Amino acid sequence: MEFATLKKDVWGREVILGASWDLLWVILALTFIGIAMHAIIAAAKKRKAAPDSSGKRIERHEKIDRIFHWVMAVSMFVLLITGIFPKIGIEFAWLTIHWVAGLLLTVITIFHIFRSIFWQNIKDMWIGLKDFKEPFDESYKPGKYSLAQKSMHASVTILTLLVIVSGIIMFALIDTPWWERTNALSEDILGWVFLIHGLVSLALVAVISLHIYFGLRPEKLFYTRSMIKGWISEHEKDENHDQEKWVVKD
Amino acid sequence: MPSYDVMPEVQLYQPTEVDDALNLAEKFRQQGWLLGGGQDTYGWLKDRAKNPTALIDLNDIEAFKGIKATSTGIEIGALTTLRDIIRNPLINDHFEILAKAAGRVASPQIRNVGTLGGNLIQDTRCWYYRRGLACYRAGGNLCYADSPEAMNREHALFNASRCVAVSPSDTATALVALNATMVIKNIDGDREMSAEDFFVGPDTHITQMTALEPGEILTGIKLSNEWSNARYYFEKIADRDVWDFALVSIALVIKEEANTVKDSRMVCGGVACTPYRLNKVEQYLKGNPLSEKIITNAAKIASQGAETLNYNHFKIPLMENLVKRALRS
Amino acid sequence: MNNYKHIGKNFIPPDIYGKVNGKAKYAEDFRADGMVFARMYTSPVAHGRVTDIDTSAIDNMEGVVGILTADDVPSTEAPNAAILTNNPAFIGDPILAVAATDERIAEDALNKIKVKIETLPFAVDPLDSLMEGGPDAREEGNVFSRSREGSGFKKIKWTKKQIEEFRAGKEPTGEHATEWNYGNLEQGFKDAALIIEEPFVTTGYAHMSMEPRTAMAYWQNGTCYVYGSAQSQSFWLPGLARLLGVEQDKVVLISENTGGGFGSKIGAYPAAALPGYFSKKLGRPVQLRITREQEFYIGSARVGFQGWIKLGFAEDGRMTAGDVFIIEDIGPNATGGDGSSAGGAISLLYDPEAMRFRGLPVLTNTTPRGAQRGPGQNQIAAIMAPLMDKAAKALDLDRLEIRKINAVNNETTVYAEQRPVTSAYMKEALQKGADLFDWDTKQQFPQKINAPKVRGLGIGQGYHSAGAKGFDGLIRIAPDGKIHLYSGVGNLGTYSYASTTRAAAEVLKCEWDDCIIHNGRSDKNLPWSSYQAGSVSTYAQTRTNYVAAVDAVDKMKNIAAKIHGGKADDFDIDGRHVHHKTTPSKSSTYAEIAQAAIEFGGTFSGAIYPEDIHDITKRSVQNIAGTGLVGVAKDKLPQNGVIPGLAAAFVEIELDLETGKYEIMDYVGIAECGTVVHPQGLDAQMKGGAVWGMGMAGLERHVFDPQNGLPANIGYHQCKVPSYLDVPSVTRTDAVDLPDPQNPFGARGIGEPAMGCAVAALTSAISDALDGYNFGRTPVSSDMILNYVTGNNQSFKPLQTNNF
Ligand SMILES: Cc1cc2nc3c(=O)[nH]c(=O)nc-3n(C[C@H](O)[C@H](O)[C@H](O)COP(=O)(O)OP(=O)(O)OC[C@H]3O[C@@H](n4cnc5c(N)ncnc54)[C@H](O)[C@@H]3O)c2cc1C
Ligand code: SF4
Repeated sequence: MEFATLKKDVWGREVILGASWDLLWVILALTFIGIAMHAIIAAAKKRKAAPDSSGKRIERHEKIDRIFHWVMAVSMFVLLITGIFPKIGIEFAWLTIHWVAGLLLTVITIFHIFRSIFWQNIKDMWIGLKDFKEPFDESYKPGKYSLAQKSMHASVTILTLLVIVSGIIMFALIDTPWWERTNALSEDILGWVFLIHGLVSLALVAVISLHIYFGLRPEKLFYTRSMIKGWISEHEKDENHDQEKWVVKD
Repeated sequence: MPSYDVMPEVQLYQPTEVDDALNLAEKFRQQGWLLGGGQDTYGWLKDRAKNPTALIDLNDIEAFKGIKATSTGIEIGALTTLRDIIRNPLINDHFEILAKAAGRVASPQIRNVGTLGGNLIQDTRCWYYRRGLACYRAGGNLCYADSPEAMNREHALFNASRCVAVSPSDTATALVALNATMVIKNIDGDREMSAEDFFVGPDTHITQMTALEPGEILTGIKLSNEWSNARYYFEKIADRDVWDFALVSIALVIKEEANTVKDSRMVCGGVACTPYRLNKVEQYLKGNPLSEKIITNAAKIASQGAETLNYNHFKIPLMENLVKRALRS
Repeated sequence: MNNYKHIGKNFIPPDIYGKVNGKAKYAEDFRADGMVFARMYTSPVAHGRVTDIDTSAIDNMEGVVGILTADDVPSTEAPNAAILTNNPAFIGDPILAVAATDERIAEDALNKIKVKIETLPFAVDPLDSLMEGGPDAREEGNVFSRSREGSGFKKIKWTKKQIEEFRAGKEPTGEHATEWNYGNLEQGFKDAALIIEEPFVTTGYAHMSMEPRTAMAYWQNGTCYVYGSAQSQSFWLPGLARLLGVEQDKVVLISENTGGGFGSKIGAYPAAALPGYFSKKLGRPVQLRITREQEFYIGSARVGFQGWIKLGFAEDGRMTAGDVFIIEDIGPNATGGDGSSAGGAISLLYDPEAMRFRGLPVLTNTTPRGAQRGPGQNQIAAIMAPLMDKAAKALDLDRLEIRKINAVNNETTVYAEQRPVTSAYMKEALQKGADLFDWDTKQQFPQKINAPKVRGLGIGQGYHSAGAKGFDGLIRIAPDGKIHLYSGVGNLGTYSYASTTRAAAEVLKCEWDDCIIHNGRSDKNLPWSSYQAGSVSTYAQTRTNYVAAVDAVDKMKNIAAKIHGGKADDFDIDGRHVHHKTTPSKSSTYAEIAQAAIEFGGTFSGAIYPEDIHDITKRSVQNIAGTGLVGVAKDKLPQNGVIPGLAAAFVEIELDLETGKYEIMDYVGIAECGTVVHPQGLDAQMKGGAVWGMGMAGLERHVFDPQNGLPANIGYHQCKVPSYLDVPSVTRTDAVDLPDPQNPFGARGIGEPAMGCAVAALTSAISDALDGYNFGRTPVSSDMILNYVTGNNQSFKPLQTNNF
């Protein structure tokens, strides 16, 4: 399987053109199989009764973070659709929408980085060695975020940063209202940038699919609710999180 | 770097029936190359810049040829040669602008074999692209013509999106002005679309110039009487007066009533990736007399929104002047 | 009008038939048993070093016969052009060739070869290379000057400030490489009532020979037979032999017809030797076909100029001083020398009392340059014409008058050495043109015609030295009375190979029908003839044919004296017979004389020949010795001074201020080439030259993408050769037709000035239409005119070259 497609550069040398878009189908298939397998295994397992959502509500996500999440979700969707659809033959004027959404994503990501450093407890998301007990030890409970959530966050973080950086480089190579394109990159470096942007986007397709899947799973639905409404119940918290590691400030 | 100039190996099909042609077009899709007069075919193939596996020669299909009157106007077969169009009485009597435009295409030799369909569907002349470079239009990831040092005198002022190439066809501007309808067939049936929608820009279709999909054949062009015998103006400015592409061209059809403009369609070639319709000018003119002031304003409106490249800003005054000339004519 | 029988009369050159009925054979039309087809792989980069050639993919490919790389051919020292190279210095520089049983296989094979090239910095505009820190077109340097004193690389850089000042039109202060002068320049400018100072650019462009330089070769008994596209015939042999590494007598050149050369095929070029090496390697005939695209790569181009000029004029219009500085774009192979020729042209055409030329030949990674029709003279003609107009306007003189005041004449001395001219009648040419054009009346017409059009009138003057000496003439009278005329001058399509042999017929007083021309193959016993270039053929070859015929007549008379008794001087010829002047019955036919020559042998039959003739002529004489009466001699006729070919042109244009386009309404070209030898040939030269001039003035130019070094001009479309509709439907031509004293028939050449006068007339007319605005540039394209008229900036930087 080829990860990259090649082309000849202006001087006839073979350089990378970008990600091989055939990979999209492979990724979608693998993701679907993964999800299906998880769903089957999960269904086979005895399901614990869902914790009660009534009672005391604990704020899990501040409003501003929820807004951030959904703005990011929307921009990500727009980016994936405008980026990928034209590659699979669905043609429309995508470029402007794509870079506007990309700018939005960049701005809110920067916002989120600042917010997480200065206003949030960044340690909540930090993956420590101890966190790896969680999958193997039924009794081990995580802090504010489970290992799965942290991993999801970490992968989205890495992928988003990569896609933003590569995207910004590509942005410099088109005309925009603010500048005319530059010629600073050689074609082989440009190829690498396209490759990274493409592969990361494909990875994002997989990661986001999983994210959505887990977000919609019945036992995790309360997290999704918390991302909409902000709260989870004390029962839900106690059932899934370690009191000591997730200290709720009043 | 190899330099190619002999025909590469390619299968040649010469169907005589419409259905056979459609089946072949469907069978080969992107790998099949429809052949009209070949004037924008052989170069691509010999240069090996395009490498189809099959050539589907449409010239033996009588149904695709000829010019006939219909109840609503005329219909021209897509395989009709430009020479036949130039000499056809129906066209000269009712849609002379098309004959004029066709008469400015390339050279007599090319017009003798070049077909109307081929002329409309021909690819852009961007010299970087024609060199066989893997630019956006060739499926690549950059544009060589729009870069800080690029030599882009012949490139676009309007509606560029990554690719800044221009529409090369002289007949296309005339047909958009005449509000022609394109008749398209594939094995599943027919569809029709306006000439204006037929030509597509790089924002939506960066690797193609028209809305034709693989498997489709342009079979005819319909001209309705809407604009027949309307006052018209066509002018093409090129470096050379024969055998050269438009730097800027203009096609205008106009109806006047009581000294004011009732309706008009004005289209420029050589300034955008498609024939560039001057909608705003048309709107502005409606109901106005063609006074010198109105004409001057119209010219200014025409070039609004132009984004110049390194070497093409001369196209702005050229275009404005052509608008003036057209309206003064 | 003269009383010649052949000179000055039209005739049907023998090659006309083949050109009309299609039977004429060009290099590409020849085939040989077992011939294979070779195609070249050329450099995709503007400057680089080949690090690896991987041909494994075609090693066992069916139909592939062999590969030739730079290792198989002699290496060449930079900056000279190589047959094949591992150090490409321009896009299209030949790297290797593949031979196959058919062309498609050869192309398929080329597609599979992998060549790795390390790229090096490159320059497509001399000023970029001159700029401090700028790229050098060759690793050895960025400047290469060739001179008699010695040639070599230099690295010359100007400061940013110097470049900027030069761009701004100031006198260049950066280092230059060559210089010559005469007179007191300072005094000249002091004496001037008017000083004009301007920068200028002339962009180079392709020679665009219709016939690409395809060649086929095979070896037979140690001799290499080359079927090539050659501008000259005999003159090619020494160079071709050198390229092939064989003795001159081991190479045969077949070049019956040539589809244009324009200076790009004067002497043997590397691509013509490639099939010879390939054929030797493969042991079978090889045809190397050059594609149209490749012809644009290796087919040579005109040298571009970026310069500065300062002219001083006295009150009465006389040019008191001329100072010119020219940066020459000499491509990667340091070919050209146009700059100094341009300086020479100023010194001759306008005869300034004092003059200085400074030159700086800068290498670029663009198409290799070469002499192109009026190399240097025609570029400067285009630049000078509007400046002369400007001076006329400032001094309140008629534009025709100022040219006459400075016109070259029999007394003018020229160049650095202030040499005399053989003869020159520019004033007469100008007057003849003005009369035919009706300059006086046309000047009265209003400039503004129906808006948006304006009229422009222009006058142009062209010059190129137009003669050479010292070549050999060879003729033979056969025992059947036929006159065999041997011409080794080459057949470029000008018919001069044939028209100059008529000089021999003239001397022999014979009928043209009795003459047979031998040309087109060096094994057809051709003499050492002049190169077919530099406008020299007519002058040089009428002289060689003359001396050979005079030698023959002398021998005929001597033979007649031997047969009939008496002295040679007692006899005369009448075209068929040699007869006694007073006793006409003592007469022999040419046929009888030829038969007798065979019997007498010695010098008569060619068994003995002059020692001073060229080896090539000697071999030819040896071959034909004993088959008739042989007339052979080296041209040692007196010759002193510069032999000018001159032309004047008048043009009227209508320029459309809304589109920047102009139409040429009237064109008159006057040749001043001494006696007219072949009126139709001259007319064709004057017209063809005019078309070239029209192309140079408004259309043709190189375009290189500076970022990637890519040439845009690799086909006819982007090169913008004028089309049928871009030139006037009628171009009127005439000639002064006054004999030059240093040619037996009074003839001089004309090919190059025919173009120079046209480009100059047009730049003059464009400037006239725009109220004297001078672009200082060729070409002046419609977009430039429109930008000027609209008050917009031009797209290019001042003095930028190789751009749209
Ligand atoms: C030197 C030169 C100068 C030129 N100058 C001009 C000019 O000034 N103005 C101008 O307008 N053109 C110019 N052209 C372009 C030329 O006029 C057109 O290429 C010609 O009219 C094309 O017609 P054709 O039938 O020969 O096309 P072809 O080469 O047969 O076809 C061109 C394209 O159209 C497709 N096609 C053809 N017919 C159909 C059909 N019925 N349905 C679907 N697809 C089809 C082919 O697959 C191909 O992609 C020039 C061309 C050259 C080589
Ligand atoms: S203008 Fe369009 S066709 Fe030309 S190089 Fe750019 S992308 Fe390619």
